[in-house]
Amino acid sequence: MEQWARREDRRLLTGRGQFVADMAVQNCLDAVFVRSGIAHGVVRDVDCAAAREVPGVVGVWSAADLSGLPACAHAAARLQDLPPVPHTLLAKLSTAEAVAGREWPALAKDRVRYAGEAVAVVVGEDRYRAEDGAAEVAVRIDPLPAVVTPSAAAGDSVLLFDGLSNTAFRGEAGTPIEETVWQEAAVVVEARYRQQLLMPTPMECRTILAVPEQDGRLTVWSGHQMPHRLRRELAALLGMPLDRIRVVVPDTGGAFGSKSAAFPEFVTVVYLAVMLGRPVRWIEDRLESMTAATRGRGQDQRVRLAADADGHLLAYELQIDADVGAYPHLGVGLPMQTAWMATGPYATPRVHASVRSVLTNTMVTYPYRGAGRPEATIALERSMDLLARRLGLDPAELRRRNFIPAEDFPYQTPTGRCYDSGNYAAALDLALETIGYDTWRAEQTRRRHDPRALPLGIGLSCYVERSGGEPGGLHDFAGIEAHEDGTIIARCGAASSGQSHETTFPALVAATLGVDESRVQLIEGDTDAQPEGLGSFASRSAQVDGAALHHASALLIDLARERAADLWGTPVEEVEWSDGSVHHVRDGSAAMDVAELVKATGPLSVDDRFESGMGFPFGAHVAVAEVDPELGTVRVLRLVVVDDCGVVLNPAIVRGQAFGSAVQGIGQALYEGIPYGDDGVPLLAGGLLDYLLPTATEVPPIEVKETRTPSPSTPLGAKGAGESGCIGTPAAIVNAVADALQIADPGLLQMPLTPDVVWRAARAAKYEGAR
Amino acid sequence: MKITLTVNGDDYPLDVEPRRILADVLREDCRLTGTHLGCEHGVCGACTVLVDGQAVRSCLMLAVQCDGRSVRTVEGLAGPDGEPHPLQRAFSAEHALQCGFCTPGFLMVAAGALEADPAIGDDPERVHGLVESNICRCTGYEPIRRAIMRAAAESASLRRR
Repeated sequence: MEQWARREDRRLLTGRGQFVADMAVQNCLDAVFVRSGIAHGVVRDVDCAAAREVPGVVGVWSAADLSGLPACAHAAARLQDLPPVPHTLLAKLSTAEAVAGREWPALAKDRVRYAGEAVAVVVGEDRYRAEDGAAEVAVRIDPLPAVVTPSAAAGDSVLLFDGLSNTAFRGEAGTPIEETVWQEAAVVVEARYRQQLLMPTPMECRTILAVPEQDGRLTVWSGHQMPHRLRRELAALLGMPLDRIRVVVPDTGGAFGSKSAAFPEFVTVVYLAVMLGRPVRWIEDRLESMTAATRGRGQDQRVRLAADADGHLLAYELQIDADVGAYPHLGVGLPMQTAWMATGPYATPRVHASVRSVLTNTMVTYPYRGAGRPEATIALERSMDLLARRLGLDPAELRRRNFIPAEDFPYQTPTGRCYDSGNYAAALDLALETIGYDTWRAEQTRRRHDPRALPLGIGLSCYVERSGGEPGGLHDFAGIEAHEDGTIIARCGAASSGQSHETTFPALVAATLGVDESRVQLIEGDTDAQPEGLGSFASRSAQVDGAALHHASALLIDLARERAADLWGTPVEEVEWSDGSVHHVRDGSAAMDVAELVKATGPLSVDDRFESGMGFPFGAHVAVAEVDPELGTVRVLRLVVVDDCGVVLNPAIVRGQAFGSAVQGIGQALYEGIPYGDDGVPLLAGGLLDYLLPTATEVPPIEVKETRTPSPSTPLGAKGAGESGCIGTPAAIVNAVADALQIADPGLLQMPLTPDVVWRAARAAKYEGAR
Repeated sequence: MKITLTVNGDDYPLDVEPRRILADVLREDCRLTGTHLGCEHGVCGACTVLVDGQAVRSCLMLAVQCDGRSVRTVEGLAGPDGEPHPLQRAFSAEHALQCGFCTPGFLMVAAGALEADPAIGDDPERVHGLVESNICRCTGYEPIRRAIMRAAAESASLRRR
């Protein structure tokens, strides 16, 4: 153990990790999907006959082929037709009203609504055979006009679902602001921002392997964030009792929010495994993922921000047109995360945010790292810089005048959040000090007087986000068992996709119990071993599952003391726990290790449900960027990120996530975006040569620092980590570029800030007073 | 087509379709699943292995092109006694992996370069160039760069001894 910094490292560094695609299962079939190349159209014919003749192909089905089949072979399932895709109940990401009349078929039947939608499935003895078969499926689709942006779709001139509006959801946070507030304010700034569509792009695409077992049970292996949810949704779809399905999450190659649902392909694969009584797997490939996996962001925003002459904020209004893709099932309510967080870190008295979620002929939008909070932060922080410029105030000073004071927590925001704790000014001060703010401002001034120097800008972004989940989903389950051999088993409902749970959680339990770390083993991501759980999303694992394990450890100590008291015939108050042992307070006799106690009194095990409050991590990011107006290039010279996620369980791991997250934030600011043609087909023929993920070439010098303001929401005091960079970094970079170019119209700088965008902006009018 | 791959020193006599890519044959036929497929179009580098000491994207090479050649994968990095390779230790120490999916590719890129030129650590730009060749979504690359520098420095100090 000592030569590995994390327990995961030994297997992951030696090629012995086990991801779903690595699993060898006898008789397993590979599934391949035949997908529509047309974004919107009527399915006329899906002819699978030729495909069925291909050697090695075991079966080919269109949606029509799969309806009206006799009930399936598998004893435990009551299954006939291919079930539709379920909708997300969690955190109001979708609603029954939004999906009513808008069924999402696992295989499209009559109509396709996005390019990449599956219309047939082929299973073969291996992937090559199945691909051979897929190439022989003849699909005839009559195109319909496609609507590709929310503004185009909102007019309902083309309907995705006949008789139903494309606007599938409306919501608001806060109270509408009277016009007089805007009329009477000393300064009002207005702007429009586009939060472009992004691909979460975990290195491992989606995976699922469904294995019908001899005893009638079904085992499902999947790289997934929420195994218990997947089990619940599959059980409902298949008509199987919950306890007949086991979902296991083995090593998972990243998720970033994108691996927590039961996707159409999952429904089809599991259905086929049960129908055929044979293991079936689907290992998504990258090009497939680039059309058919969920995307993140996708908002067109309009903002108004008002202040008095001293720069005190009076009102903030945010209107969101969200592009939720072709089906409302996964993320129609996701933009509410933006609305609820619209207040940001400021004590603005009036804040109102409204959401209109519009269906378009594109793949579905779903959480991607940050999930609604980057959109809130970017809109507000860009507007803060605009306002500072209008007021002639330093942007840092404008923020300081408006921060919610550290003594005002808990703070009820006008948009319905109750912030738990914070010290926003401290984070900003640390960020400015670390980057050397005054020095860079001096350099900026120097360059403005030097005609040969490239313009330089400094961008600030102060954020507050939310971690843990939404009411109804703020709990998780944890258990601790002490065994005779000295081993301590910790269980919880989380599921790691690269966040080092196997290292961090045993260390936490060991520290709480006072035992050596090597004695504690973690079990998670297996619904048989841990029957109840919520999973890992919304930056919740340390905050909620960490606190749940901390809580369960305390329960185990109480139980051990009671046991010892019974054993020794003394009152429990006279039994103490220290360093993994029980001992009598007054008796001088030796302490009894918990393993000895188990030997003497039988198994020692506790299980409980633990509920956290919401956490509100925060921070301040500052970027310095140099712009070449002739080439349109942006060079980030320095980035400082200061994050506060309360009590940190493992500083090296939190810092590592913060750094990686900042690089994803740079990706949104400068490089990434899904371009769609007018026909709704993504213009990404070159795969990852067209969709530009940051490589090491694009990583500037980044310094990660932290402040620590514990959360009162749990006794552990941890808040969520890991999403900070995606939330805080993009606005810092865009603000730096805007600051360098001094343009009057911020609408010209829409992400990603490609050379084309920047070159055009560099030629636009500068704001009054610019030099 | 009958071929023999020598993978990590072991001979694998195989009968493979000519169209099968090296990565699939390593993973499915040799059951060496440490080599991961991240994009299958040669961009991400997760599938990088060494063929006769040269780093290649095993998703862009056919297995039959490797007949009679020597292939090295992440499973062959550790010493004969199981002692971890300096790169494996350095990656762990520097937290150069989180989910670990891209890791085998970075390790093999670095191993090939370090073996071809043990002094590569003297030129940080070249090390940076290595890191630029693959994609990682978790770490932000800087820890990977540090890990390669660390392993290179360790190798250099061993040589001087």
